[in-house]
Amino acid sequence: MRAATTTRRRDIQLAYLLLAPTLLLLLTVLAYPVGWEVWTSLTDLSPLKDGPPAFVGLANYRAFLADPEFWRAAAVTVVYAAVTSVAKLALGTGFALLLARPFRGRALVFLAVFLPWAYPASVSVIGWYWTLSPPIPTAYSVLMGNIKYAVDSAFGGGAWAFVSVTLFNIWRGSSFIGVFLLAGINAIPPQLFECAVLESKSPWRRFWLVTVPLLKPFFALAVFLSLAMAFADLANVWMLTGGRIVFPVIGTHAYWLAIRGGQFGAASALSLMLVPFFLVVLLVCFRIFDPPEGTGA
Amino acid sequence: MAQVMMKNLNKKYDEVHAVKDVNLHIRDKEFMVLVGPSGCGKSTTLRMVAGLEEITAGEIMIGDRVVNDLPPKDRDIAMVFQNYALYPHMTVYDNMAFGLKMRKFPKLEIQKRVQEAAEILGIQELLRRKPRQLSGGQRQRVAVGRAIVRHPQVFLFDEPLSNLDAKLRVQMRVELKRLHERLETTAIYVTHDQVEAMTLGDRVVVMKDGWIQQVGEPLELYGKPANKFVAGFIGSPAMNFLDVKVADANGALWAEAHGLRVKVPPAHTSRLMPYKGQQVTLGVRPEDLQLASGSDPSEYVFDAVVDVVEPLGSEILLDLRAANSTIVARVEPTVRVKVHEKTRLAMTPDRAHFFDVNTELAI
Repeated sequence: MRAATTTRRRDIQLAYLLLAPTLLLLLTVLAYPVGWEVWTSLTDLSPLKDGPPAFVGLANYRAFLADPEFWRAAAVTVVYAAVTSVAKLALGTGFALLLARPFRGRALVFLAVFLPWAYPASVSVIGWYWTLSPPIPTAYSVLMGNIKYAVDSAFGGGAWAFVSVTLFNIWRGSSFIGVFLLAGINAIPPQLFECAVLESKSPWRRFWLVTVPLLKPFFALAVFLSLAMAFADLANVWMLTGGRIVFPVIGTHAYWLAIRGGQFGAASALSLMLVPFFLVVLLVCFRIFDPPEGTGA
Repeated sequence: MAQVMMKNLNKKYDEVHAVKDVNLHIRDKEFMVLVGPSGCGKSTTLRMVAGLEEITAGEIMIGDRVVNDLPPKDRDIAMVFQNYALYPHMTVYDNMAFGLKMRKFPKLEIQKRVQEAAEILGIQELLRRKPRQLSGGQRQRVAVGRAIVRHPQVFLFDEPLSNLDAKLRVQMRVELKRLHERLETTAIYVTHDQVEAMTLGDRVVVMKDGWIQQVGEPLELYGKPANKFVAGFIGSPAMNFLDVKVADANGALWAEAHGLRVKVPPAHTSRLMPYKGQQVTLGVRPEDLQLASGSDPSEYVFDAVVDVVEPLGSEILLDLRAANSTIVARVEPTVRVKVHEKTRLAMTPDRAHFFDVNTELAI
């Protein structure tokens, strides 16, 4: 009896020992920065200020809630995330379905679809930048200039920038979503699709009644990844607009505040503002991904 | 209810000729089994009937319609897949109702048919469960149920029992046979397991490398295999093959090999005449070999050395060395022999088979 207890205790000790590296890693790279950011958001920490940071409670958050600029940035961010996610999902699904069945030259098409994702962002951004606002005056640059003017005057300043960043995100992201969903389709036994072919002629019906439900977990993950990338997006917006805040998203605002403005406290609060909303979306995604037992039966 | 006809059916992929000139007439209400090793073209043939593979050349008729260009949905077939192909997101009821829903059957009719099929298969209790909550055997039943509710003209089975464990497979085999007797629907059944083929089929088609080797009733294939491949494929343990020379002595033909000399049974004499002085393959099934007793006619007896003894309870399998080959004999469980023991085997003369060495066809 005593021997058994000793063995068990040793097992438990070993388990903690084996878990320790992972735990340490999570604490240092995840828990610590997040905790630090949350704490910072409750202070007026700034390198421009002398002396230790003062605890200000929820003042930073309250300031943003009262600031129309914040609400505008939040709205743009949400719309940006939603529009790009829907478009990427639709295009990505198309790519995946196209690439799922064998045909001549599939490898080439696969390469073409995947290229936007594999290409360094900084390089492709320049390509897009020059495509949308050509550096050399030609008939084309005049045309693009006119389009930019038309869009901006119809929807307000920054609309064209929003369109271009959105297009870039979709262009780059749908290839990723496509390859991701292709992996999903390939993980499903082909008989499940064949069985549907035996029962219905309409590819449309088969898509909605069989493909979509079978891919649901993959869709949920894809949506999650896409939303996460859009919500946290700073790089794409920054690179395409050259750092000008022509249209504000949370990411660029926070960057301006922290790095250019030196207001670490406020910037931390700003980047955390959308987290609760994002967590709800995440929760919904995982409910779809892994529905609790007994529902729908 | 319908017959199925295949005329000069061919399937070519880029580099592989998977099905070659298959001609087959499956009668109404018949249970036809396609059997052969993997890659023999049996599944491809079935999938062409289903419409899941395009037909390269030839014709398939179901009933009196040529179905080559009909979409699968309009062929009036129902298929059961090896991995069951149940939809994980649907309940058992919805899985069984799937085909009918896709065809927009009225709800009441769907309900009636699913209930009926569930009763036949004894799965009424499971209708509200999801596939992942079922055992392998139960999933198999659901997959069969999904086919039954469609009331098709032809059932297509693609290795439906291969994912089950041995015991369950035997049980489901019996159930499928009973089911076929009850429903009286034409069925085409693909398997690589010759025991399944023999026990289930009204007739069996043996295939190899895309060719049909032989079509016949199970006992016909067993008793009169058309060639060496069928002879070796049907029956377990497999038939023994010995290379022998046909010799003429004392007014009779003899099959000779190193340390072996047996008389050619009278039934084969005339057919083996042209092979006098030539090599042929002698085929003897393990069950047609017994340890020789004094009463066995000596011209059908030869020497052998015991290599391995496998007592199975109801019988004993002996691996022996004879005529420079390894042969298997299936003997009575009461037989007592030891490894390395020299013994004498007697073969049942009228059960011997002879094959041409070059064409491998039965002589």
